Amino acid sequence: MRNFLQVLVDAVALGSLLALVALAIGLVFGVMRLINFAQGDYITVGAYALVVPTASLTPALFLGALPVPLMVAGVLFVVVLLALATERVAFRPLRDSDPATLLISSFAVSYFLQHLVMLIHTGRPKSVGIGQALTTPIDIMGLRVPGIQVVTMAVTAVLLIALVLFLKRTSMGIQMRAAAENFQMARLLGVPANRVIAMAFVISGVLGGAVSLLLIVQTGTLDIRMGLMPVIFAFFATVIGGMGSLVGAALGGFLVGGASVLLQSFLPDGLRPFRDAFVFGLVIVILLVRPKGLIVIGAARERV
Amino acid sequence: MTARATAATAASGMARPQRLQAQGVHVAFGGIKALTGVDLTIQRGQVMGLIGPNGAGKTTLVNVLTGFQPPTQGRVLLQDRPLTGMKARDVARAGVARSFQAARLFRDMTVQENLIVAGLGAGLGRRAATERARDILDWIGCAPIAQTQCDGLSYGDERRISIARALAMGPSFALLDEPASGMNESECAALMQVISELPARFDCGVLLIEHNMTVIMGVCQRIHVLDGGRSLAEGTPDEVQADPAVRRAYLGEKAEKTALVI
Amino acid sequence: MQERGMIAVLEKAWPVLVLVLGLLLAVVLADAYGSVLMKRTVTDALIKIVIVVGLYIFIGNTGIVSFGHIGFAGIAAYFATWMTCCAMMKPITMTGLPDFLRLETYSLWFTALVAVTAAGLVALIIGLVLMRLSGLAASISTLAALFIFHAVYANWDNVTMGRASIVGIPTYVTLWVGLGGAVLAIVVAYLYQISAFGLAARAARDDEVAAQASGISLYWNRLIPFVLSGMVVGLGGVLQVHFMGTISVNAFYLNLTFITLAMLVVGGMRSLGGAVVGVVVLSSIADVFRRLEAGVDLAGTRLSTPTGTQEMFLAALMLLILIFRKDGLMGRRELRLPRLLGGRAAGAR
Ligand SMILES: Nc1ncnc2c1ncn2[C@@H]1O[C@H](COP(=O)(O)OP(=O)(O)OP(=O)(O)O)[C@@H](O)[C@H]1O
Ligand SMILES: [Mg+2]
Repeated sequence: MRNFLQVLVDAVALGSLLALVALAIGLVFGVMRLINFAQGDYITVGAYALVVPTASLTPALFLGALPVPLMVAGVLFVVVLLALATERVAFRPLRDSDPATLLISSFAVSYFLQHLVMLIHTGRPKSVGIGQALTTPIDIMGLRVPGIQVVTMAVTAVLLIALVLFLKRTSMGIQMRAAAENFQMARLLGVPANRVIAMAFVISGVLGGAVSLLLIVQTGTLDIRMGLMPVIFAFFATVIGGMGSLVGAALGGFLVGGASVLLQSFLPDGLRPFRDAFVFGLVIVILLVRPKGLIVIGAARERV
Repeated sequence: MTARATAATAASGMARPQRLQAQGVHVAFGGIKALTGVDLTIQRGQVMGLIGPNGAGKTTLVNVLTGFQPPTQGRVLLQDRPLTGMKARDVARAGVARSFQAARLFRDMTVQENLIVAGLGAGLGRRAATERARDILDWIGCAPIAQTQCDGLSYGDERRISIARALAMGPSFALLDEPASGMNESECAALMQVISELPARFDCGVLLIEHNMTVIMGVCQRIHVLDGGRSLAEGTPDEVQADPAVRRAYLGEKAEKTALVI
Repeated sequence: MQERGMIAVLEKAWPVLVLVLGLLLAVVLADAYGSVLMKRTVTDALIKIVIVVGLYIFIGNTGIVSFGHIGFAGIAAYFATWMTCCAMMKPITMTGLPDFLRLETYSLWFTALVAVTAAGLVALIIGLVLMRLSGLAASISTLAALFIFHAVYANWDNVTMGRASIVGIPTYVTLWVGLGGAVLAIVVAYLYQISAFGLAARAARDDEVAAQASGISLYWNRLIPFVLSGMVVGLGGVLQVHFMGTISVNAFYLNLTFITLAMLVVGGMRSLGGAVVGVVVLSSIADVFRRLEAGVDLAGTRLSTPTGTQEMFLAALMLLILIFRKDGLMGRRELRLPRLLGGRAAGAR
């Protein structure tokens, strides 16, 4: 029982992290049909902003040296700026392209950013110690839970609630939902496309920055590919949930996170190394049964 | 002459079906009832007109007949063979071809290749499909543009090629969705001529959706009227013209006062 | 009359003829005058041509962007490795292999044949499942397939040695072998493209709905190019390992996927000529950067660009092409017989 609860906590914690990334991807997809693979590199860049840009393997802290509130604000600011820049330079000119072209373009942006970081920081992993106090386990009703897991879940909850309030209560949020339903129609009805899309990138930047910080506390290591696995899993989470549906994205994040933790714990030893293959196989199965994902929104089939 | 020969012999030796029928077809899109209990029979050798105001359900009916839209209720029969539930591609191969309201040509191909694709789809070999494509293009006077890329065609040519492509399947029934829309008067007259010759030349039945009453009255042996998803009337052009319900619904109140313009 | 017939044949064969002659010229020149490094660069480009032309067979004819094909290169490459590498080490390091692979070594021709067939079979199995999907869902699931390949091969320690490199694979791929592979790939792609199957696949690409109404099966006309391109890409994988002499699973993952896709995009996704041109252009650029990164003497000081610039340039170029010239350098056309030689005017094909 206790063991199962422990697994459950792990699953929810990983699910939360993936849900954050998936939400960012889903939000942007909603307003411009772009699956933004570069979301992973936003995370990487945010993490690297903590240290001084040098080739050194034990770099001095940069944003990481600031008091916590300032550090958080600084990282979020850097990532938001980066997200906006990629939108303006790369994605905006491609706005009317088909989703496959947009996906390719986001690969290009991702490749660019990855090598930019490499150029500045070299490709070798670096270690940073930030928020190490959070990694010590705390006792909750007999369960030993690393503090960072609690923080991750709390941050996710707060951001989810904030996002829901934003989408339901503010006029910008309502416009964004309208755009996600039917972009052309929303545009005709006077929704300012540029602002809505930019806003989606701002939010994806905030979510990306939050994930940067959570990840770096968890692993203590900077690596130019640190955003890759989260973005791959989250990417499939949005696909499973239903592209463009935010509820679906969050749900998908928890599903994928849950599935990988459960597979990790309950797969027989011989198969455990292949856990990821099972998760990706699940994606294909779900796509076959429901090509549009679990939660389908917007216009259905093309009219003949 | 050759067009007729190759097209007519194409139906793989089997006896060609006599009629294509929709029986008690209902289609609902969520709350919208696009079709309600529609019965329609197209005879081989005839041109049947299908008219009705915008949104009457004409395209939806063609979609049902060609397997693009499964009916909520009712069925489709080719002679005695049920087509309901078959995939669009199999319906096409069974001999029910169609054109689309928007021409939907294969844009990155030449005109001739468009027709060859349809021939291949009907089960012909490459050579036979090419020969048939040439014959049909000759016949409708499009031979000069056979090697033109489709993304550079004029609007009128696009529409003609989309009909030609349906014919290249060698169908027993050709369903044409507003083939003359957007054409000028002389193009329209030429198309009328072509359509009225189809049943004899290709040994097929034709369903013609058209808003232009001149075209409809001129080429159809029978006319079926849809309104709001229901069948309003069916009969010869004269009968339909005389039908008061048709006048009221399709031609609007004005038409009751002014004579029907043909 | 006979002359007309000749011209028609010439016109039909022209797109391939030009590419083949161009590559032949490059190989002859490199063979005669090139440094060792130059020869390797050209050979590498020829292998990339095999892979990118393989990608083109599927992507160009179906319009579905596949992110998964490099997995087929990997499948074939590992088969080639198991069948030919390191007879001494294999029984110890790859204990999971069945005896006929672990204890035997096979001839190179037979190996290539088996490896390419294996890639084709895997493509067939995956395609049978995935080709039911269209558009974005299809693209995404091919990416999932690549991740599955990687997750399996990177962790299948007693068969693939996990993430470690396997060394000691015979290297027989010279300039001329590379040329042979590239020519084979180009000819196969072109024959498929002008066949009835190719025509049907492009019909489905241009308009799914109209293709179905014309009796064309979307499923089969995607599956056929999927398998064929899986095999050609597989051939590329085989050549790659027998060129490098080593293999590791990360060599067949995102980087190679991205680079080959970039080559196709830059050249033009819908043109066989584009696939080849894209490889030539990007390989040349990569070569220039390699030299710059090694350093050049400028007015007495040695300057070099830092590592990473090449990749950034590549990504930026790809974005520029996507933005300003969506159909790539070659557009949607093939190289056409010049009018000088009796070819028809543009617009006719
Ligand atoms: N795929 C669909 N989803 C929802 N509603 C649809 C769909 N296709 C058609 N409809 C609705 O069904 C009704 C009938 O449409 P249909 O296209 O058959 O009319 P039509 O007679 O062909 O009109 P028009 O003359 O404008 O072509 C319309 O109200 C239309 O909005
Ligand atoms: Mg209509």
